[in-house]
Amino acid sequence: MADRLLLVEDDPRIRTALGLGLADQGYEVVEAGSGEAALKLIKQDDFDVVLLDLMLPGMDGFAVCRTVRSQGDLPIIVITARSGSEDVIRGLEAGADDYVTKPVVASELAARVRALLRRARPPVPTVLAAGDVRIQPDRGVATRRGEDLHLTLTELRLLSELAAADGRVVTREQLLERVWGYDYFGDTRLLDVHVRRLRRKVEDDPSAPRLVLTVRGVGYRLAGRDE
Amino acid sequence: MRPLGRVPVRHRVIAAFALGSVAVSAVVAVVTWNLTTGYMLQQREQSVTRQALVNARLVDTRLASGSSDLGALLTGLASSPEAAIFVRQPDGWISGGTATDNIDVADMPSGLIDAAGRGDIARQRLRVGGAPLVAVAMKLGESKASYVEVFPLRDLDRVFQFISITLLAGVLASGLLGGTIGWWASRRVLRPLTELTAAAARIAHGDLSTRLPERDDKDLGPIAAAFNETASDLQERVARDARFASDVSHELRSPVTTMAAAMEVLVRRRGEASPAARHAIDLLDADLRRFRRLVGDLLEISRVDQGAFRLSAERLDLAELARYVLARSSNGKPMAVEAPGPVPVLGDRRRLEQVVSNLVDNAQEHGRGLVRVAVCHADGLVRLEVDDAGPGVPAADRERIFERFARVSDRDRRIEDTGSGLGLALVAQHVRLHSGQVWVTDRPGGGARFVVELGGAR
Repeated sequence: MADRLLLVEDDPRIRTALGLGLADQGYEVVEAGSGEAALKLIKQDDFDVVLLDLMLPGMDGFAVCRTVRSQGDLPIIVITARSGSEDVIRGLEAGADDYVTKPVVASELAARVRALLRRARPPVPTVLAAGDVRIQPDRGVATRRGEDLHLTLTELRLLSELAAADGRVVTREQLLERVWGYDYFGDTRLLDVHVRRLRRKVEDDPSAPRLVLTVRGVGYRLAGRDE
Repeated sequence: MRPLGRVPVRHRVIAAFALGSVAVSAVVAVVTWNLTTGYMLQQREQSVTRQALVNARLVDTRLASGSSDLGALLTGLASSPEAAIFVRQPDGWISGGTATDNIDVADMPSGLIDAAGRGDIARQRLRVGGAPLVAVAMKLGESKASYVEVFPLRDLDRVFQFISITLLAGVLASGLLGGTIGWWASRRVLRPLTELTAAAARIAHGDLSTRLPERDDKDLGPIAAAFNETASDLQERVARDARFASDVSHELRSPVTTMAAAMEVLVRRRGEASPAARHAIDLLDADLRRFRRLVGDLLEISRVDQGAFRLSAERLDLAELARYVLARSSNGKPMAVEAPGPVPVLGDRRRLEQVVSNLVDNAQEHGRGLVRVAVCHADGLVRLEVDDAGPGVPAADRERIFERFARVSDRDRRIEDTGSGLGLALVAQHVRLHSGQVWVTDRPGGGARFVVELGGAR
C-alpha cells in the first residue's frame, strides 16, 4: 500500500506541481491549502507524513506543527523559504522531524519521506537500556521508571542510536546519517534541536544533562550506569 | 623648493601668523629703540655739556690766574673714574683724570679738536679700547686754550644692551606666540574639514550610516547638512537595491518551485515523449537548473547585503569537507584531496561547502577541468588551493573575477555552462564573512590557482 502524505501549501500552483511529482513517485497525496484544513484532514484521516509549508495565511505552519505534535507523533517535514533564517530552528522547535528548503522538488521530498519512514519502522524487536530509560524501538516506546516518555519517532531513533553505542561517542555526522539519512552535509541544527527536545523529555534538569552528554566538537554519548 | 600650493594649509596659516606678529613686534621694537636711546643719549649729552662748560670756566679762571698745578685740578674735576680732561697749553697737552692711562689726546678725533679751535662747542661719541665715551671740546675764553673733556658712557651702554636684548626677546616671543595662535586657529578652523575627511573615509569603507554632527555655524552647517543628505541618499539607494534583488529572488522562488516540480515529472516521463518533445524537455531542464541556481545564489547574496544572515560557526575539518564536496560533484572521476591530516577550522559548514563546490565548479566550467585540490596549514592560517588546467586568469582580471556577474574574456567558456555568474562572488562573500581572504594566482606549470585563506581552529 502506498504511503499517504498530507501536503499543506497555500500556493495552488506549487501544491499542484509538488502533488503531481509526489504522486509520480508513487505516493498517495492529499492536498490542503491552509493550516485549518490540514488539521481537519488529520482528524478525519490517517497519514504517514505531513509536508508542511511554514508560510501559511491564517494559522501558520508553526502553530499547525505544535498542534499536530501535541496530538501525537505523526512525522512532520516542514518546507521553509529560507535556509539561513530562524525559521528552520523555530520549525524544529515546534516539533518538526526534518525540513527542506524552497525551491524543492518532489524527488528531494520523497527522499526525506523515505528516510523518515525508515525511522518509523524498526526491524528487529530489541530492548535497549540507557540509565533508567528502557527503549523498545520495534514498539516505538521508551519508558522511564515505567512511565511512557512520549518520544517522537525521530527522538526515539536518536536515543536508540546513542544507546546502541553503549556509552561510546557517536559523532554528529554519524547521527545525522543514521537518524535522518543525510550524508556529510546534514544540517547540524537539526541534530542540536532534537537533542534539546530529547533532553527535555528524558532529563530531570535539561540544562544540566546527566544522561545525554555533549562531547564538545565531536558529538554525543549516553552516560554509563556508574556516571 | 616646492611650490607654495603644496604646503599644507595648516603650515601656511602657522607661518603667516608667526611672520605677521614678528613684523608688527619688530616695528614696535625698532621705534621703541630709536625713541628711547635717542632720548637718553640726548639727555646725557646735554648734561655732560653743561658739566664741561662749568669745568671749562673753572679751568679758564685758574689758567688766567696763572696757577701752576693744573694737572691736579684737572684730575679733581674729572667727575668719574673713567673721565678725562685734556687742556692744550702753548707747550702741549696737559691731561688729568684717572682714565688718562687708557685714553690719550691722540685718540680724540681731529675734527673735534679743530672744531674746538674754531670756537665751537663740539661733541662727539667715540670708542676707545672698546669703551664707549662722549667727548666735549671747546675753546677757553680768556686763555685761548683748547679744552677737551671725556665722559664715559659705559653705564648708558649697558642700559642700551639690556633694552636691545629685551626688545629682541620680545620679537622672538611674539613670533612664537603668533605661530602658536596660528596652529590653534588653523586646527580649529580645519577641524570640521578633518571630521568631513574621516566621515568620507568611513563611507568609502562601506559604513554608510556615518553622519556628521549638525552645526549651527552659518558657514559649516550647510556642508554638514549636504554631506549627511548625500550619505542618507546613498544608504537608501544601496538598501533599495539590496531589497530589490532580495524581493526579485523571493518572487521568483514560487514560480521556480512550481516549474522545477513539474519539470521533474516531465524528466521522469521523458521516455514516453516523442524525440522532439524529449529534446525540448532536455533543453528546458538544463536551463531550469541554471535558473534555480541563479535564484538561489541571488537570494544568498542579497541576504548578506541586507544584513539578514547568521554565521553558524562550528569546528570542522576543511580537508574532510573538501573530500566530501569532491566525492559529491559527479563531474568526472573523483579526485583526492592533498592534505597533511585533519585541518580544523571554525566555520559555517554550509557556506564553506559552497565555497569549495563553487571553486570546483569554476575550475570545471572555466578552467578546462580540475587539476588539484589541496588543504594545508600556512603561517598559523589554513589554506585551500584549487588548481585548474585552463589558461589562467590575466593579472588585470584577478580582482574583477570575484565581482558579481563578472564576465572575463573567456574563450574556453563551454556551451553547457551551468554557472549563475555569482559563483565566485559568493565565494568571496562567504570567505569575507569568515574574515578570510581569497585570491587567484598562477599555478606553477600553467593554469589558475584559487587560494582561500582562513583562520585555523585550535
